[in-house]
Amino acid sequence: MILEELRLINFRLHTNTKLKFSDKINYIVGGNGQGKTSILEAIYYICTSKGLNQNNDSEAVNFNSNSFEIKGVFSDLTKNESRLFYSAENKKKVLYLDEKQVFRISEFIGKFPVVTITQSDHEITAGSPAERRKFVDSVISQASNTYLKTLVDYNKILKNRAALLNQIKETGRKDYIDELDSWNESLINNGTYLLKNRNQFVEEFKLYLDNAYKNILDENEKPGIEYKTLCSSIETEEIKNIFQKKLAEIKKEEIIRGVNLIGPHRDDFIFYINNLEIKKYGSQGQNKTFQVALRFGEFFYLKDKLGKTPVFLMDDVFGELDTQRSERISSFLNKTGQTFITMTDFTRFGELYKSSEDKLIYVKKGEVSYA
Amino acid sequence: MLIAEPLQKVIDELSKLPSIGKKTAQRLALHLLKTDVNDVQKLAEALIELKHKLQFCKVCFNISVEEKCAICSNEKRERSIICVVEDAGDILAIEKTNEYRGLYHVLGGALSPLSGIGSENLKIKELISRFSSEKISEVIIALNPDTEGETTAHYLAGLIKPFGIKVTRIARGLPIGSDIEFADEATIGRAVTGRIDI
Ligand SMILES: [Zn+2]
Repeated sequence: MILEELRLINFRLHTNTKLKFSDKINYIVGGNGQGKTSILEAIYYICTSKGLNQNNDSEAVNFNSNSFEIKGVFSDLTKNESRLFYSAENKKKVLYLDEKQVFRISEFIGKFPVVTITQSDHEITAGSPAERRKFVDSVISQASNTYLKTLVDYNKILKNRAALLNQIKETGRKDYIDELDSWNESLINNGTYLLKNRNQFVEEFKLYLDNAYKNILDENEKPGIEYKTLCSSIETEEIKNIFQKKLAEIKKEEIIRGVNLIGPHRDDFIFYINNLEIKKYGSQGQNKTFQVALRFGEFFYLKDKLGKTPVFLMDDVFGELDTQRSERISSFLNKTGQTFITMTDFTRFGELYKSSEDKLIYVKKGEVSYA
Repeated sequence: MLIAEPLQKVIDELSKLPSIGKKTAQRLALHLLKTDVNDVQKLAEALIELKHKLQFCKVCFNISVEEKCAICSNEKRERSIICVVEDAGDILAIEKTNEYRGLYHVLGGALSPLSGIGSENLKIKELISRFSSEKISEVIIALNPDTEGETTAHYLAGLIKPFGIKVTRIARGLPIGSDIEFADEATIGRAVTGRIDI
């Protein structure tokens, strides 16, 4: 899948920017605060309806306007247009696919698959378990609408169940226990689906992670990933039984504390290099390399699952990597697909592999020019 | 800015309605001001009539002119099956399909602790009491296919099964995430005929 054109209207510094891209590598070069990352952000918006790094939508509106619009034309077997309009006045975001309004984001996600490498990837290996769950959930969600829909439902069940646990705690009403049992059934049904799919995902993803290390990053290091959860099975009935049993065991404590204590929302993923846990023993370089490997793994995983090549967005990725790794990554990019790379430090440009089909785009104060 | 009091009053009342904001209320109020007085009179009377002439059915809580709604008092309906729905609007949707000939029961929502709706806020006791006053052999649960609807279905099934009554759910013919009221007639028709045991 190729993003052919992009148009930004009142999006951050870009009052009216039109871009045409190469279907290979697009280098987007400019100083800090000139509007180069906004281009990646805009691409992310029309692929997912959300901004990068979970900023408020209103922050992305140009200071002279009260709305922004982003339009992109993708080509695959067919040409498709994704358009997103945000109005700060009523805080409303409307997404159109080929000029038809999209009402269910869960049915849109995965139509234009996208993989990003940004500074905040640091959190995936070094941050809290929630960051790792977010990474895994976002990869599976792009590959499966049912997973995303189940995840959204599961989170809604958690909120309702927490409210009910608190009501039981405060009122001591026994008749609410029957209601809790019904919420448990929903929690188990949806939670089991998530857990099973995460177990399956981790098994499959190991291969993609291995390949990323072998082919791109460092063949001397051996990556590993492990899912810490209630049960490592992929048999629905087995997971349900264990979930039910553990939920019954913890019932009293949940009521006393008024909190959802077990389920896939409490799980973690452990990353290893040569059998050592990265979070505890990894160097800064090993962390960074692992983050990049996760993203390349995600790229090829989605490509296989969706039968569609994602667009790859890389925000200042070479700034943090040594020369050797930068060279290896950039020489590999002709095997990926359409890639967008922002760069601040142009002096490193010489280290990177370029072909005549690549495009060099300069961005200054929200204005775009081509080399 | 000062708005004449009678106009402000209409704007305030209109903006209490669902999905009508201040701006729309203002536009509607100004429109009414320009409208012929006879038409405004007709609208006002229709609104009053709505409240005076309609009530909720004593048996199933459907919208009704009489104490008992047209469906509950229709002797030709199959009187041993009850279809449980969230709102009276869902009855309209299912009736349009002409696939279902039984009775209904309107719960008035679904369990949602987050919005403070517990079992005591729904017409659940009233449903259970129908099992002793009527001869019911099957209850079809046709709640919205969202998490609240699903959970309420589990809850109802737990309450109904001890009565020895068959509990079914309409098959997943409905598009996921859609409200029954907005699903097209053909899908609901298929859903009602293809129900499954729970
Ligand atoms: Zn009735």
